[in-house]
Amino acid sequence: MDSDGRINLAPRPAWSMARRYGLAFFSVIVALVAARVLLYFHSPQTFGAFALSAIAVTFWYAGTAPGVLSAVLSSIVRDYFFEPGIGTESRLLFDLVFLVFALLMSRVVKERNDLEVRVAARTEDLTRSNEDLKRRIAERNQAEYLTGQVFESSPDSILIIGTDYTYKRVNPVHARNWGMSPESIVGMQVANLLGAEFFEHKIRPFLDRCFAGVDTRFEEWFETVRGRRYLAVSYSPLRSGSQRVEAALVISRDLTEHVVASEALRQTQADLAHVNRLTTMGELTATLAHEVNQPIAAASTCASTCVLWLTRDDPDVGEAREAALGAVRNAKRAADIVNGIRAISRKGESKRQPVDMSELIQEIVSLLRNEAQRFSITIRAELGENLPRVMADSVQVQQVMMNLIMNAIDAMKTVDRKRELTIRSQLWEGPQLMFVVSDTGIGLPQQQARKIFDAFYTTKPNGIGMGLRISRSIVESHGGRLWAAENSPWGARFHFTLPTETVPED
Amino acid sequence: MTRCDETTLVAIVDDDDAVRAALQGLLRAVGFSSRSFESAEAFLDSGHQRETGCLIVDIRMPGMSGLELQARLNAEHCKIPTIFITAHGDEEMRFQALRAGAVEFLPKPFDDEVLIESVRAALQC
Repeated sequence: MDSDGRINLAPRPAWSMARRYGLAFFSVIVALVAARVLLYFHSPQTFGAFALSAIAVTFWYAGTAPGVLSAVLSSIVRDYFFEPGIGTESRLLFDLVFLVFALLMSRVVKERNDLEVRVAARTEDLTRSNEDLKRRIAERNQAEYLTGQVFESSPDSILIIGTDYTYKRVNPVHARNWGMSPESIVGMQVANLLGAEFFEHKIRPFLDRCFAGVDTRFEEWFETVRGRRYLAVSYSPLRSGSQRVEAALVISRDLTEHVVASEALRQTQADLAHVNRLTTMGELTATLAHEVNQPIAAASTCASTCVLWLTRDDPDVGEAREAALGAVRNAKRAADIVNGIRAISRKGESKRQPVDMSELIQEIVSLLRNEAQRFSITIRAELGENLPRVMADSVQVQQVMMNLIMNAIDAMKTVDRKRELTIRSQLWEGPQLMFVVSDTGIGLPQQQARKIFDAFYTTKPNGIGMGLRISRSIVESHGGRLWAAENSPWGARFHFTLPTETVPED
Repeated sequence: MTRCDETTLVAIVDDDDAVRAALQGLLRAVGFSSRSFESAEAFLDSGHQRETGCLIVDIRMPGMSGLELQARLNAEHCKIPTIFITAHGDEEMRFQALRAGAVEFLPKPFDDEVLIESVRAALQC
């Protein structure tokens, strides 16, 4: 045992051979001196007792060989100093005692040595385990510290709700959101903090799913003490070692700024698209005036014809009626064109609905055919038959087609060869529809084919450079792609795809 | 209203169906016989040029324009009194048409009485 009272399990320090055998001699001499000098007795039994002690000490501290030597020396000393005339039987008896004792001590020492080896090995194991345990405890403490830091320092609201629907732990953010301290919230029923009705209808179903072992999440606008906030809330089951769900880990992230910014961006994009539509429609003023003039002229002529038939000397009511009906038809046609222009120019929320693209393309071609004819451009529509509809905002898709057709017209205005604009549609993998607007114009700018979709890139002297950018944005918002390629042998091709309408399963 | 010779044909050349139908109805109401054609090429291919007493033609059409049709007829020594109608109308075009010998240049929507009088003048009724 050391000075601190602890058992010293350190291995015995090894003695030198001289020291070990010296102990044998020394212990026997001490036994002799003690027997002859200290006790004043010349009894061989007394020496025998001291000799046995010497033998034991020598075995214990010096080992087996020195111990045997001490036994031999003890026998010799006893014979020489205490019973020089003793008979052989007595001598042998004493020698036997020493021998047996030596054997016993040898066995004891061996057991002791074995025990020491086992203890040393066990000590080493325990030490290693101890170090390992310390390391794991340190790691766990570090992990718990970091986890605690995450819980306490997270910018998100984190809380733990037990299966009894009470708060077990809340982080500072959550407490701050409610204007309370974490301690005052822990232990509260969730219904008491959020309101019974809101809890029953909105929160409890998610908690119950979580307690059943399901990870859930939802996003929604909430009325909080900080006002109306958009929160993304997740519920994760927390399990003990028994795998039974004991609590729900609820993390709530405030996405209000993100959603507001996204909405602002979406509105800006919509405004920009609207400006693009107005700009395009402005460029088509002459064409649009022509388109409206035709039915108005026809309606006016029909009305005059009706009057003529009725003011004759012999009025013809039947002819007058037919003429009047013609006026009505053409007036309605003019109104439809005006409504169509208004719809394209409108600024409003995007409305997705099933759209027959063949019909839409035909309408746009009718609207722009005159514009094309101004520049001696022929428009050909090679549209697939019985194509499925697409789920799209018809105004936005019209805008894309108009942008592409107007660009094609612009590209062909100055070329000397045959000016032909072709529009094709076909079923595509996906399932999608693919549309191709190709021209025989000046083609794509060299090595800048990708840049034509960049914002503010334009080759037109008065262009803004947003038409293709907006068109691509519209197509991609519908789940499609828009890209350009060189046409053969001249001009450019613009491809875009749109997903077909998904028919709900019965 | 004085009725002209019903055999004098008025040809209407316009790519818009409704305008052609309306003009034919108007001319029928005032007693003129008419035929309509959807393009200048269709008129030229019809073979009715010699019997046409008046031509009402749209200026801007797919393919051959109204001015090109007039030039073609003049080149073939088939001078038909021509009334141009157009939804695009500008002064430059008006000047060009009248210089080419047009009887009248009427932007759409036109005054139908002016048109009728122009047809009568062209037919010299």
